[in-house]
Amino acid sequence: MTRGIIYWIFAICSLMGIILLVIGLAETVPNAGGLPHPEFPGMVVGEDGAARLEHIGGLAFAFNALLLTLVVCLAILGVSERHRSPKFVVAMAVSLVIMLLIWWAMFSTHQEFLRTGETGYFMGFPIPTAWQMYGTWLGAIPLVAIYTLGFRHFIFTEADEAEFNALLKECQQEENQD
Amino acid sequence: MEAYRQEIIVGAVVIYMLFCIATGLWAMRRTHDSSDFFIAGRGLGPIVVALALFSSTLSGFGFVGGPGLVYSIGVSSFWMVVISSIGYAIGFFLVAKRIRMIAELRDCLSLPDVVAARYGSEAVRFLMAVTIVLGVMGYLATQILAMAVVMQAILSGTETFADIGLVSCVVISSAVLIFYCVTGGIIASVYTDVVQGAIMIVAGSLILMTAMSVFEGGMQEATSIILADDSEAMMPFGAAGVMASLGWFFVFGLGLAGQPHLITKMMMNKKMTDNRNILPMSLFGYVMAALLWISIGIIMRAAVIDGVVDPLALPDDAASTFLSVFANPLLAGIVFAGLFAAIMSTSDAFLNIGTAAIIHDIPKAVRGHSVKNELFWARVVTVLLATVAAGFALYSHFADATLVALLGAFGWGTFAASIFPVVAVGLNWRGASVAGAVTAISAALLINFSVQLAGIVLPYGISGPLVAFITSMVLFIGVSLVTKKPVLAKDIDRVMQI
Repeated sequence: MTRGIIYWIFAICSLMGIILLVIGLAETVPNAGGLPHPEFPGMVVGEDGAARLEHIGGLAFAFNALLLTLVVCLAILGVSERHRSPKFVVAMAVSLVIMLLIWWAMFSTHQEFLRTGETGYFMGFPIPTAWQMYGTWLGAIPLVAIYTLGFRHFIFTEADEAEFNALLKECQQEENQD
Repeated sequence: MEAYRQEIIVGAVVIYMLFCIATGLWAMRRTHDSSDFFIAGRGLGPIVVALALFSSTLSGFGFVGGPGLVYSIGVSSFWMVVISSIGYAIGFFLVAKRIRMIAELRDCLSLPDVVAARYGSEAVRFLMAVTIVLGVMGYLATQILAMAVVMQAILSGTETFADIGLVSCVVISSAVLIFYCVTGGIIASVYTDVVQGAIMIVAGSLILMTAMSVFEGGMQEATSIILADDSEAMMPFGAAGVMASLGWFFVFGLGLAGQPHLITKMMMNKKMTDNRNILPMSLFGYVMAALLWISIGIIMRAAVIDGVVDPLALPDDAASTFLSVFANPLLAGIVFAGLFAAIMSTSDAFLNIGTAAIIHDIPKAVRGHSVKNELFWARVVTVLLATVAAGFALYSHFADATLVALLGAFGWGTFAASIFPVVAVGLNWRGASVAGAVTAISAALLINFSVQLAGIVLPYGISGPLVAFITSMVLFIGVSLVTKKPVLAKDIDRVMQI
């Protein structure tokens, strides 16, 4: 299944490019990229958040969902084909699901705030921002854990090390013969 | 202690500069050949590499520009920071193992060396080296200028140096930079990175504690003030909007694995197995240091809105104002020393890869061999490169900022767009072809240059580097798929299967 991972990466990047094009052609709003603060020079304000997402909200959601999928596909590409065991693929799929859930939680709580104007706080930040701040940071920890804890299983096994050392020796011998 | 604030800050900076000179002299004794000068002889331990890796990620921008961005556009700029866990993970999954293996197998000294070995192409080496030199010039000029401006601000607060000019500050800071770069090469750079990293971790934690005490209600009160003033600034996409934020997520996250000064450090560890420890250590260091970026920016925006502090003349004044108003003089001294450390170690890393490109890679690509006596020429070119960059910095400040701004555009985004596909994807996909690599690099440079030169503003805050990055990824894979399957050298083919 993961042998064709490069085609998945190509398809995701192409889709992201198309989404970017559609966003670029979408109807724009005056405060899309922010406006100068009326009182304090150097500060920018976003003003009406709902208006800013009106034409592109769904596309932006899809764009980042694809980006997170791309991240996991790239991580799979970085692991030698022979180590992409079912266990590894499941671990990667779980990582992706966690990252997508965090993204959905951030986006939906922001939407809710735009509707109601109310939000709770978590560790100093409004809930949607806390999802962004802590959630995004921690969301990739499974990837870090797979790399660190699975280093000798998926990344660079003892057999890999022996194979690389043998290759090094061969190359050195060839060099010496030359 | 408050009465001696300026003296304490100057003292901390002077101590750091003396440390740099001492490190240069110490490292000179360990630098015997060009391999030591450019990649520390591939003999560094995991802690050194981890600290060097994360502290190179945060240049002076992390201290000055980062808090300034939060002050200016609110949470939008958090995206540059929160991507670190994804960015480092992808960097290690895609690059760390293979770049280290190819470097050892082919005795590579630089990133273009690795790329030339992977693709068996001098054209790809040449393009990569030229991209690095252009980027290095822009980065270096802006770093030297930033260092001189900060030095002038610090020294002009003392009686003795009240009238010191910017030119003198450029000369002093460049002289220290050149001294330790020339004497110690990359070894001096990574050990100053270690000190910078340690300072940043300590400073990040202390700054967070200081920031939490500015308002009685801590961070929540500060964020509530910003939310009440403009809710979007405190919501996940900040004042700059969703596409600007997601663009940074893409370019800074994936792009980390395309930064030559960072991935070159992945060639320097002694043991390949150290990578499993380097990744979490680098990430931990980055997160701790990033606390400084986020907390200063939030507190300063809230403090100005709440009338605690006068509005800033420039967003980039956020960090220095915070330090002078809220921080203990000793902490301010530590952070300013950290700022110099950040600028100097990043400058050193750039000088190093720029020099390697000029004396090693471009001659190899054009003439088939590097210059003779590489170590001597490396030192000569380091001096020349730093001097030209200092000249650029002064020219940009006093005459015309266009050239440096243009080269500055060759920053993170351009490196990400042009180097990531070719290196990060190319090292893991045997189907990647020379045509794909040349097309991707050329397209990335062309798009970034065009957007910058023409001053094109894209809708919804979409950035030029984001467009360039996606385009170069699509072209790299697409062109490689439709061109003839490359025949790899036997050793490279075997490495790519491990």
